[in-house]
Amino acid sequence: MSSQSCAAPLRAVDEVVVDPDGTSAAARKRVTRDDPYLVGHYPDFTIYPGVFQLESVIQTARELIGAPARLVKIRSLRFTAPLLDGDELSIALTLSEDLVAKTLVVKARCTRGDGTAAASMILEFAR
Amino acid sequence: MIEHGDIKSILPHRHPVLLVDRVLEVRAGGRIVTVKAVSGSEPCYAGLPDDAPAEAYDFPASLLVESFGQSGALLWLHTMRAGDGVPPGTLIFAQARDCVFEGAARPGDVLRHEVRIETLKPNNVFLTGETYVGDRRIASMGSAMAVIRETDSLSPAPASDPTAAAAAVNSMGETA
Repeated sequence: MSSQSCAAPLRAVDEVVVDPDGTSAAARKRVTRDDPYLVGHYPDFTIYPGVFQLESVIQTARELIGAPARLVKIRSLRFTAPLLDGDELSIALTLSEDLVAKTLVVKARCTRGDGTAAASMILEFAR
Repeated sequence: MIEHGDIKSILPHRHPVLLVDRVLEVRAGGRIVTVKAVSGSEPCYAGLPDDAPAEAYDFPASLLVESFGQSGALLWLHTMRAGDGVPPGTLIFAQARDCVFEGAARPGDVLRHEVRIETLKPNNVFLTGETYVGDRRIASMGSAMAVIRETDSLSPAPASDPTAAAAAVNSMGETA
């Protein structure tokens, strides 16, 4: 695994594009059975764990917020389609501030290569 | 108590993504308490440079959630076996709400998950619970839901071997 700034189960994004305004980003990840952990999930057929979609969003958010960004809350998280070996995952996220909670709010949608919605989530990160 | 090897006869997850080391206690329809040791030798720590700060060693939240979820799956499967039996299919993590991460675990810490069933239906389960390191609560999961999905709806292109997928699922139905 290539050098990384904090512990992570795998490299969960292949490419990230941050919008110039710094409040949104898009990323993609190709699911491959060769990634760490996937050999055990499961031995006979590969399903990208739902929590790795969460990891993809966290790694994308770190491109916007900065590497040490710490997840403090999952407000909501839904997985709506499985991702299998070879599938392409697209991540689209927006960043805003919760002035009351003093956190950064990340809203993200993950889409499978065939256009099917794969996950949606609202996360909070420490400022 | 259920040891790590016996957990494999209940869950289809395998090394290195079987993130429950031991079940300390479990009561069908009630609560499960599990532990998972966090070790610097696991894959998530493999790529860290030597000058990484201490915070870089926080056990990833995604893996903490997965470990909690697998604990919930064990509770659910234990409960179903004690009742009407396990329906066929794969247990899928479907949604979560209000999960708060108050602290972090680092190599040398032992995660202790306490998971309870909120609502039990034939094909899905709502769970709640907390994760501790010693006396320190590091996470509380407001609500998490898992569903049973027919494996056929998950299987890849027809070229794959359907009996292999069935074997993975059947391992969830075997008695511990």
